[in-house]
Amino acid sequence: MVQGAKLSHTAALILQAINAGFVYGFSIMEMTGLPSGTVYPAMRRLERDDLIRSQWERQSIADAEQRPARKYYRLTANGKATLETSRKRYPLLERLIPSEEVKQV
Amino acid sequence: MKPLTGWICSKLEYAILRCASLLVPREQRGEWLREWRAEMWHAREAMQIGPERTWRTEAGIFNFCGGAANDAFTLRRLAWEAADAHPGFHGSAAECLLVLSLLFGVSYSLSRVLPGVRAESHPTLYKVNPNLIMIQNAFASDDSLATIPLDKYRSWKSWRQRYFDGFAFYRIAKETAATGVTGTRRWKVAHASLNLFWILGLPIRFSTMTGDDTGRTPGVILGEGVWRKDFGGDPHIVGRMVRVGNRSSRVIGVAPAGTWRLPGDVDVWLLEPDAENRGVGFVIAHLTSLGETLMSSTRVEITDSTSDDAQEELCGVSFAARTKGPWGFYKFTMLLALLALPAITSVSLGENNFCSYMPSWSNRLCRWIFLIAKVGLLLPSVYYLSLDVAYWHTMTYSIRAQYVQLIVSFVMGLFGLRWVLLDQRNRCPVCLRRVTHPAQVGLAGRTFLAWNGTELMCAGGHTLLHVPALPTSWFETQRWLYLDTSWKFLFASSSAG
Repeated sequence: MVQGAKLSHTAALILQAINAGFVYGFSIMEMTGLPSGTVYPAMRRLERDDLIRSQWERQSIADAEQRPARKYYRLTANGKATLETSRKRYPLLERLIPSEEVKQV
Repeated sequence: MKPLTGWICSKLEYAILRCASLLVPREQRGEWLREWRAEMWHAREAMQIGPERTWRTEAGIFNFCGGAANDAFTLRRLAWEAADAHPGFHGSAAECLLVLSLLFGVSYSLSRVLPGVRAESHPTLYKVNPNLIMIQNAFASDDSLATIPLDKYRSWKSWRQRYFDGFAFYRIAKETAATGVTGTRRWKVAHASLNLFWILGLPIRFSTMTGDDTGRTPGVILGEGVWRKDFGGDPHIVGRMVRVGNRSSRVIGVAPAGTWRLPGDVDVWLLEPDAENRGVGFVIAHLTSLGETLMSSTRVEITDSTSDDAQEELCGVSFAARTKGPWGFYKFTMLLALLALPAITSVSLGENNFCSYMPSWSNRLCRWIFLIAKVGLLLPSVYYLSLDVAYWHTMTYSIRAQYVQLIVSFVMGLFGLRWVLLDQRNRCPVCLRRVTHPAQVGLAGRTFLAWNGTELMCAGGHTLLHVPALPTSWFETQRWLYLDTSWKFLFASSSAG
């Protein structure tokens, strides 16, 4: 995707959530209030457009904590730039999901 | 929540995820299932308060699983949209032929499974002796009505005839029968002359009689339905005594299902001497060679001089219609469908174009081969489907099933052929792919000032199709515009054609 291209509000919300530290699907759903049927396909599209990147955590970590390994998402450089553009378009994004909130947790 | 209930809920939740994953394109399926499972574990952790499972938690997890199904539907929809955006198999001639082949395969397989169709398709069933006619009153409105008194049959039989060398008689009555196996039954009994089966040439199962005996020995011939239902399909049935009405008779054989094509729905045939018969019935006559020459049509008028020199108008009806078989009816309905086709659609293949350019001969040949292949797959499918519908619930021949076959094969044949023509007109002459992306052009209110209609294009970038909304003298039928190579850059997948 071309840097700074226009994103839908939902996609921008997901980018903002990932940027704020909600780095896996269920936490993004909880934070944004978007349903499962929207969030996961949207994240696949963002990944296809090289705005986010996913990575499975190491199985050894998951085994040590006796839980299934989970898939983490993070913004790419393209994604960060696009999020900056989207923040100008959707000024309420930062109020909906402030980055500081996560950092304090 | 009880542990067993919790275990069942877990299994159900995994089953939902597994089912949802089946909708996901195969190459992404494993990844999605893994992520859903991982996320579900974390969703449960987040929702569950304390070690005990609660209904509220399970409701939340089921909700999450429903979301997974939504994910799968979304992915499937995207995959379909992607397939539409990049035409390959979708809309191609191969897809069309595959669907028609499947239709033929299903209809043929059904016809092999359904007992009624199997019985009806057997060619020996509707074979009766040649040169037979049924004699009836000429004023009878329906050939299923009995019109000939037994006395008249006897008098014909006793006189030397020029045109007939054999007569048989039967009448149908409901009788109470004692089988000795299943108690009493009400049967439709055909009280017939001894030679009925012999003159018709109908087969009799389990019978040990020779041809001559068949015409002389009194007894009962069971219909296959009665034999199976009331005697359990006993193969040693011949020789058993049954009581039909007031008289005991010996079973002399079983008539195979579907062989009886004469008027009247009959359960058993009671073959008895003419002296013991009575009433009004049906008469079958065998023609001499002279009679055959004079009565070769399906219906002939016969004048009978009665004893007091009065004349009675009779008619002789050929068995041809009754022994036609499903193939005969099918051919008749297809002929009707072909005659009716121009009334519901244009029979043109719509190959006009805007310029003198003509597709190559190989393209034109392929187009014709495709058309013939479609018709070739459609027609047998119609035949077998009409039989499947007609004999779905019927085990043997019946007039009702024949009417159903007539109607179904006519309707399917007519609209099937219409579809074949419409489909052919909407296929690019170069790649045989269906043209897509219809666009309305012009205004209906300006029909007589400028062109208006629909434009469609070949996704392979070969042609544009212009279909007028209202045929006019200068634009009567659809026209193709062949695109040269300068248009190729507009079509990302032009090579797909």
